[in-house]
Amino acid sequence: MKASERRECWGLLLMDFKTYVDQACRAAEEFVNIYYETMDKRRRALIRLYLDKATLIWNGNVVTGLEALNNFFEMLPSSEFQVNMLDCQPVHEQATQAQTTVLVVTSGTVKFDGNKQHFFNQTFLLTAQSTPNNTVWKIASDCFRFQDWASS
Amino acid sequence: MRDVQEDPQVRRTPYTTRHKNRRVKWHNEDHIQRAAWRNRKPLEREVGDNTKDGTPGSWFKITVNSIWENKTWLMNSIQSHCSVPFTPVDFHYVKDWARFFVQDAGPASALRDVSYKICGISIIVDPSAEPYSVQNKLEPEEMEQLKVMQIQGTFKRYDVSQQALDLQTLRFDPDLVDHDIDIILNRRSCMAATLQIIETNFPKLLSLNLCNNKLYQLDGLSDIIQKAPTVKILNLSKNELNSAWEVGKMKGLKLEELWLEGNPLCDTFRDQSTYISAIKEYFPKLLRLDGRELPTPIVVDVDTCYLKPGKESSKGSETLKNLVMQFLQQYYFIYDYGDRQGLLGAYHDEAYFSLSIPFNPEDPSVAVPDLHSHPPTDLRVQLLKHTKHDIVRSLCVLPRTQHEFSSFLVETWLQTERVLCISLNGVFSEVVGKSQSSVRAFTRTFIAIPASNSSLCIVNDQLFVRDATPDETQRAFFMPVPTPTSSSVPTVSQEQQEMVQAFSTQSGMNLEWSQKCLQDNEWNYTRAGQAFTTLKTGGKIPEEAFKQIP
Repeated sequence: MKASERRECWGLLLMDFKTYVDQACRAAEEFVNIYYETMDKRRRALIRLYLDKATLIWNGNVVTGLEALNNFFEMLPSSEFQVNMLDCQPVHEQATQAQTTVLVVTSGTVKFDGNKQHFFNQTFLLTAQSTPNNTVWKIASDCFRFQDWASS
Repeated sequence: MRDVQEDPQVRRTPYTTRHKNRRVKWHNEDHIQRAAWRNRKPLEREVGDNTKDGTPGSWFKITVNSIWENKTWLMNSIQSHCSVPFTPVDFHYVKDWARFFVQDAGPASALRDVSYKICGISIIVDPSAEPYSVQNKLEPEEMEQLKVMQIQGTFKRYDVSQQALDLQTLRFDPDLVDHDIDIILNRRSCMAATLQIIETNFPKLLSLNLCNNKLYQLDGLSDIIQKAPTVKILNLSKNELNSAWEVGKMKGLKLEELWLEGNPLCDTFRDQSTYISAIKEYFPKLLRLDGRELPTPIVVDVDTCYLKPGKESSKGSETLKNLVMQFLQQYYFIYDYGDRQGLLGAYHDEAYFSLSIPFNPEDPSVAVPDLHSHPPTDLRVQLLKHTKHDIVRSLCVLPRTQHEFSSFLVETWLQTERVLCISLNGVFSEVVGKSQSSVRAFTRTFIAIPASNSSLCIVNDQLFVRDATPDETQRAFFMPVPTPTSSSVPTVSQEQQEMVQAFSTQSGMNLEWSQKCLQDNEWNYTRAGQAFTTLKTGGKIPEEAFKQIP
């Protein structure tokens, strides 16, 4: 990809690869912090972080669309997340239909009320929606899984 | 409070007294119910007349539908939200619904209100007849006698070396028959008494044989999950269990061996493999079913999610599954056994790769760049590799590995005609230093686009590696967790015994583990102490090392 195209992609001038990656990842980190805090403390606001047609796969269960997501998050007991690892990469546009996308992977522990603590892994695809004033990031795809080997 | 010496005339004519004051009526009901109790006849007629005004003694059937599987949590939650305390009787499951009985209208209507207080449950309250166990309740003296006989009889049937209890064909046990004790394990009270004996006398029970006891339901037995959770071998053969769902009630047990043959449920399956998979759903760690070794579990979970609406054909997802598995097998074959340069073909020219490890300043085995001399931006750019050549160069630098393919959990969480997103979880062993190897747990996410030769081309590769927990290690590589057994202990001198005692006090581990640690370090107390501290900080010592064995 030509450097000039890359710059246009972000709608900003004079940006090189280093800054491009940095920008994407900073946004992703900030987003993730907001996500887990919203999940733990303001659960009702969580769906605002998802695109209309977003899909969540939660331990193998597929939940598609805002209404279904809303019902799902309402039903989920209250949570306490502890994120131990966070990593992000910009997604190559050949995979994304020219929409600026970032891959975010997190890992840590979570305790849902009434259940015991689990290790979890979560993978997000975040897409940027640019408006003249700012860039809004939303979740296009979310995959959450308990990584529990010790328990059945 | 209630006068038992009732006027006989009043007792014989219950209907006429109904018009008199209420207290008298209660006396009558009480009598009639207690008489019925002795004769074991349900008094539906009486109960039917009283349910509307909720006089004491009337029963209500409570049906709970909930998304929560954890029965203890569910009941605790209901109890805490219920404004009137209640005692659930005959708790059991009917399909997905939990059902129990309560006495008196007070608790019953309080329970109805709880329905709105807890998310994800609904509670239905109906008047009902006396629950089964109340109707068939054993008299206290009978209970005592039963217990004594059971205890004596049970001890005879307990094999200490195997920690196994054989209760097959219990009803016709000669001792019990001789004493006219009828232990019908189908009866809740009998099963409950039996479990009570197990909990008190054999709490570490490993194996339980309930063959040939005409069991048709397992609601009562499911309490064993709390009372003797150590049971790993269960024999339910030659009973009357009708469906696998009944067996599912035992789901909390971590069974390794199960016997079900000779039950009607076995005939409900089309073929052997459907039967095995249905049972394995409930007991994923099961190793033997009906005496047959089960194939090593390959945990593969492939979910597909279509962004564009379209027909989801099972053929399509099979092809996808095969494609993904084949790709991963090839990738890891080269990664583990070949020259990793060979992976160049798997990556896109402009692909990205990043590696994350948890940062632990105390662990010297994990190499982490010095965070102080590198500002964050530079560090991120350094650890994020771009272009396939850079990526493969980095991969070649990583230690040699051996991935345990059968331990992988693979999930395809996004699929469109342009892109495939795959996540894997698993363990691998890594060669660290000269001859040491460590077991690590990893999560890898691949984003790939279709490649020309109907394979995949990776555009994003994210790898997260951490140390595996002892359980993960054991499970993945089927290594038995080292447990010191009494038979393998060589004779220990007086001095050594004192060392063991001191070590145990200082480390907090029980005597057996302390002894093992000292033995492994050739009775060098300081060295053993150092080894213990290192392992403990690394979280490598299982909990049972600290359990005091009575």
